[in-house]
Amino acid sequence: MSISDRFTELAHIRDSLGSLAADPSRVVMEKILSPTEAVIAGKPTILVGTNNYLGLTFDPDLIEAACDAMHEQGSGTTGSRMANGSFFSHAALEDAFAAFYGMPSAMVFSTGYQTNLGLLMGLLGTGDKVVLDAHSHACIYDGCRISGADFFAFKHNDPDDLRKRLRRMGPDAKGALVITEGLYSMLGDTAPLAELCAVAKEYGAWFMVDEAHSFGIYGETGRGLCEEAGILDQVDFITGTFSKSLASLGGFCVSRHPEMRLLRYGSRPYIFSASSSPANIAAAHAALRAVRDRPDLKDKLWANAERLHGGLSGLGYTLASPVSPVIAVRVPSHEEAARTWNELLASGVYVNLVVPPAAPDGESLLRCSLSAGHSFDQIDRIVSAFESAFGGASQPLPQAAGAQ
Amino acid sequence: MSSDATDLDTDILQTLLGFLERFPTKSGELGAQTDLSADLSLDSVSMMEILVEVEDHYDISLPLNMVANVNTVQDLVNEIKPLVESTS
Repeated sequence: MSISDRFTELAHIRDSLGSLAADPSRVVMEKILSPTEAVIAGKPTILVGTNNYLGLTFDPDLIEAACDAMHEQGSGTTGSRMANGSFFSHAALEDAFAAFYGMPSAMVFSTGYQTNLGLLMGLLGTGDKVVLDAHSHACIYDGCRISGADFFAFKHNDPDDLRKRLRRMGPDAKGALVITEGLYSMLGDTAPLAELCAVAKEYGAWFMVDEAHSFGIYGETGRGLCEEAGILDQVDFITGTFSKSLASLGGFCVSRHPEMRLLRYGSRPYIFSASSSPANIAAAHAALRAVRDRPDLKDKLWANAERLHGGLSGLGYTLASPVSPVIAVRVPSHEEAARTWNELLASGVYVNLVVPPAAPDGESLLRCSLSAGHSFDQIDRIVSAFESAFGGASQPLPQAAGAQ
Repeated sequence: MSSDATDLDTDILQTLLGFLERFPTKSGELGAQTDLSADLSLDSVSMMEILVEVEDHYDISLPLNMVANVNTVQDLVNEIKPLVESTS
C-alpha cells in the first residue's frame, strides 16, 4: 500500500464517522471545570467517559506535588534514563510501587501503552510463544507483534480455551507467556484470574496481567484484581498505567522476579523513550499515596457505579456486564448508537461511542466510565439523559433480554 | 513432493474451501488462488471464525503473526500444512 493509498483509507474512515455525524475525535473540551465536567461547544457537560476512576485530576495533593516537582526539577527530563541518568523521583516512585506490592522489582515507563510494549519487547524474541486473551488491548497485540514471538489468542475470559491452546503447544507450553487483563475497558467485564492463572501454572507458563483499568479500584488495598483473586504470590508480571486511577501520565510494571529489573538493558521502548516529566511522576506518586491512604475514594466510585448501573438497568437497557466502573450500553445498530451519542452530547453528557471493530461482538456500545468525583446528582442526570436520548429514537429501545 | 504431502495439501485445501463456501465470492470461482480479503471480503471477525474452525478441525493453533502473510486460500494452506505435519 502506498502512502497516498493509506491517506485515502484514513479519509474513508473519517468520512464514515462523519456520515454518522458522530466523530468523537472532533470533540474539543474548551474548559475543564472538574474531573467530571468540561465545557464542550460552549455548554457545561458531564464527563462520563474519561477513565478518571478516582477523580484525582484536580486533587490538591496531586497538583501541589506536581507543581513542586516542576519548580524543583524542571519541566522535563529531556531524554531517556539510560542516556541522561535517572531523576531521584523516578527511582523513588519505582521503590514505592515495589513496596506497595511487596515485590522486589518495579519499573516505570513513559505511558501505559509503552509499558506493555516495553515489557513484551524486553521479554520476548523470535520463536517465543504467547497466548493472550482475544480482547486484549492494542498495545499487548502490538508488543507481541513487534517482538517477533508467535502469538495465539484464547477465547475471551475462557480458561478451557486457554487450556486447549496450551495443550496444542506441546512442550512449548512450558515457558510460554499467558497474558490477560483485569477489568476489560470496553465491556466492563473482569477476567477469572484465579482460574486462568491456575491453567497457566499447570502448564509451566508465565502469567502476566494488565491492570490498567483495575489498579486502585479492585482488591482490599487497591492493588487490583490480582489482589482480589488472591494470586499476587503467583502472577509473574503486573502492568498498569498512571493515566486512569492515578490521574497522571506514564505506566508501571511490578514483578515477584528480581530479574525483571534487567529489562532496563533490553527493552527498547524503555531505553529509547524520554522518561516521564517530573510533574507526571510526582502526580502519580501522590495518587499512589491516595490509593493507599484514602479507601473512601474507591468506596465512592463503587457507589456511583452501582447507582448508574441500577439506573440504566431500570430503564431496560442491555448492559454488557455486571456492575463495574465501566458500564456499557449495548446498541445493535451503529447508526442508532451514533444518533444517541449525539443526543447525549447535545443534552450535556459525554460518553464514549464505541463501534466495531473496537467494540467486540459486532455491536456498538455507549460506554460510561465512572469516577469517584461524580455526585449522585450527576449520575441521576446521566440516567435521565439516556432516557431522553433513547426516548427520541425512531426505533424501539434496546431490550434488557440477555443483560447480566 | 511426495504423494503424501500432495494428499495433505489437497485435503487442507478442500477443508478450507468447505469452510469458505458460505461466503459469496465477488468474482469467479472459489479456489486456491481466491484472495480472502479482496474476493471474499472476509472481515477480521469472519477471518478469526474461519481460523478457529480450521484449528479445531486439525487440533492445531495458528499463530496470529502468521495471518499477516496470508492473502490467498493457498497461502493459508501453506501455513497450516507444517503445523498439521508436526502433530501427525
